[in-house]
Amino acid sequence: MLNTLNGLFIAAVLAGTPLLLGALGEILTEKSGNLNLGVEGMMFMGAITGLAGSYYYEQAVISAGGNPNGVLSAAIALLTSFLAGAGGALIYSFLTITLRANQNVTGLTLTIFGTGFGNFFGEYIGQKAGGYVAVSETTKKAFSGLQIPGLSDIPVIGPLLFEYNWLVYFAIIVAVVMAWFFNRSRVGLNLRAVGEDPATADAAGINTTLYKYLATVIGGGICGIGGMYMSMVTTSGVWVHDCVSGYGWLAVALVIFATWSPARGIIVALIFGGLTIMRMYINIPGLPAQIYDMFPYIATILVLVITSMRQSREHAQPKSCGLNYFREER
Amino acid sequence: MNKKIVSVFLCAAMAVTLIAGCGAPAAETGGNEDGGSSTAASEGIPKDEIKVGFVHISDPSDMGYTYNQDLGTQEMQEALGLSDDQIINKYNVAEDASCDTALRELVDAGCNIIFATSFGFEDYVVEVAREYPDVQFCHATGYQAKDAGLDNFHNYFASIYEGRYLAGIAAGLKTETNKLGYVAAFPFAEVISGYTAFYLGAKSVNPDVTMEIMYTNSWNDPTVESQVAKALIDRGCDVISQHSDSTAPATTAEDNGVWQVGYNNDMIEAAPNASLISPRIDWGIYVTEAVQAMIDGEEIPTDWCKGLADGAVYLSPLNENIAAEGTQEAIDEAAEKIKSGELHVFAGPLKGVSPDGEEYEVPEGEYYHEQEEASAPSWLYIIDGCTVVE
Repeated sequence: MLNTLNGLFIAAVLAGTPLLLGALGEILTEKSGNLNLGVEGMMFMGAITGLAGSYYYEQAVISAGGNPNGVLSAAIALLTSFLAGAGGALIYSFLTITLRANQNVTGLTLTIFGTGFGNFFGEYIGQKAGGYVAVSETTKKAFSGLQIPGLSDIPVIGPLLFEYNWLVYFAIIVAVVMAWFFNRSRVGLNLRAVGEDPATADAAGINTTLYKYLATVIGGGICGIGGMYMSMVTTSGVWVHDCVSGYGWLAVALVIFATWSPARGIIVALIFGGLTIMRMYINIPGLPAQIYDMFPYIATILVLVITSMRQSREHAQPKSCGLNYFREER
Repeated sequence: MNKKIVSVFLCAAMAVTLIAGCGAPAAETGGNEDGGSSTAASEGIPKDEIKVGFVHISDPSDMGYTYNQDLGTQEMQEALGLSDDQIINKYNVAEDASCDTALRELVDAGCNIIFATSFGFEDYVVEVAREYPDVQFCHATGYQAKDAGLDNFHNYFASIYEGRYLAGIAAGLKTETNKLGYVAAFPFAEVISGYTAFYLGAKSVNPDVTMEIMYTNSWNDPTVESQVAKALIDRGCDVISQHSDSTAPATTAEDNGVWQVGYNNDMIEAAPNASLISPRIDWGIYVTEAVQAMIDGEEIPTDWCKGLADGAVYLSPLNENIAAEGTQEAIDEAAEKIKSGELHVFAGPLKGVSPDGEEYEVPEGEYYHEQEEASAPSWLYIIDGCTVVE
């Protein structure tokens, strides 16, 4: 029984991490008043560029006669996936902030574009490699569970808390930093003001355009890292067609579930991840798998109902989210 | 007022001429094609005029099912010497009304024979086949051809259970916990027949072995496949096999230090330290035969199913670095027996229960005639030693 629960917890963390990264990116974006529905697309872009970054780095080193370095390979994957996600978000920012295009339509377009981008280049690199794009042993190791001397050896707690891949800890650090940023820093306060009421923020002398651009682009980059988690950890550095498969949309739902709070996002991602894999660990006789698959969404609906009943201003979507700001319109 | 009426009439006249203008040549060529193909059944179609269409659920980049199908298409194209524009592929067609659209587009494009390669396409294929009696339709893995009463609708498959049985031997010899895990797509006969054969193969060399099965409820969802594989490993399974399209179970197995048996494609490159072997289907044999039959003006069999003996089912090379000693010999021996008919995979005594609770028993000395009467697998009984986790 205890083993099953431990297994469930570990699997929930692994399933929840890409969702957490996607949701954190989207929270940052929405706090600036941009509703970017392109999370799925940016995750796809991050997934393929992260994998491609590692893969081409390894190929270059091997053809030069050297041995690829796992840490460097992981760092390259992190950087390229961040840049790809940020690049996707930059397109979105330019269209919605500068050209004031409709945010929903632009976001959906970005999803379609990113999905095609990921699958096209995944297939292209695969064909060039003569079959699979697969990273080498070294990089696979760099993305598998860590062994922290001392901590990982503690019975029960060790495997439960200290044996994940580094991206899990990275995601938690990003969440904590982001929570501090929103609630404790001047710049974070300014950003929230931009998201709530850009006209007021503008009058207060805050550069709304700059804030919106930066928040959206960095948010997109974090989404890209979430996508890289799918290609490097979930499928272990092998490109699999359609590997993000809807996780971007789950991340958007998770933003609502987390009520736009990064700290709460950690717990909620764990619950969400747990609900998506629960059926594989806990078996309720007679309950079909399809019902299990509904749980995350039922939970989201319940949270929506409860938060709207409480009408708390604190835990609501930023007020100007989805609306473009046009200074001359005031 | 008069002006308006006149302009309306003018517009109408223009529209009519437009339709007539476009319609006439189309109707003419259409008539010619119809005339050509109606005589085709008896006289055959010249090789350089035949057009072949395919409807696939995914595209070859999946490195699994559709990739393997596409290899068959290439094999046929090479064997018969068809040019590229004689073959039309429709990739990434969902198992819904878009299949109907894809089929009709292929008919409009002048295809004489159309292959639909996913299980869920069948209902749409039957419907379109009824409307176009001059076009031949072949559906892989389906079961409706023998009862549909249509001359132009055919099913085909290969006895993949024979390959799975042999792959099971590799798993049975390798396992240390005596517990196998199976990432299964759906509780359908095709899947159940596959994993039962796999389990029987493992059991033939390791009587203590048991197997746990978990469904993903999707043919191709890498994330869920990986999670299911992980859950099975957490339950103590140390060889993972799969009836799902992606390499995710292979890489998950490698990541967790256990072994894996693939499907559809050699997965050793994706997981060199985990993937033992993969049973595969050579679709090219059937596709070539069917297209050749069109060229010769012969009839295509309603149900086509070949197996190990004909090369329609084969195994990818064994991963000698990690396989247990003597695996290749054991597989070769069993393969010879299957080919000669001495060994039957579903041989009695066997007892199983279907997902609906129906019990079934094969008595000692007899065997279940899998894929003999129809090309579609029909064994859907979960036998002792196999546990479905849900």
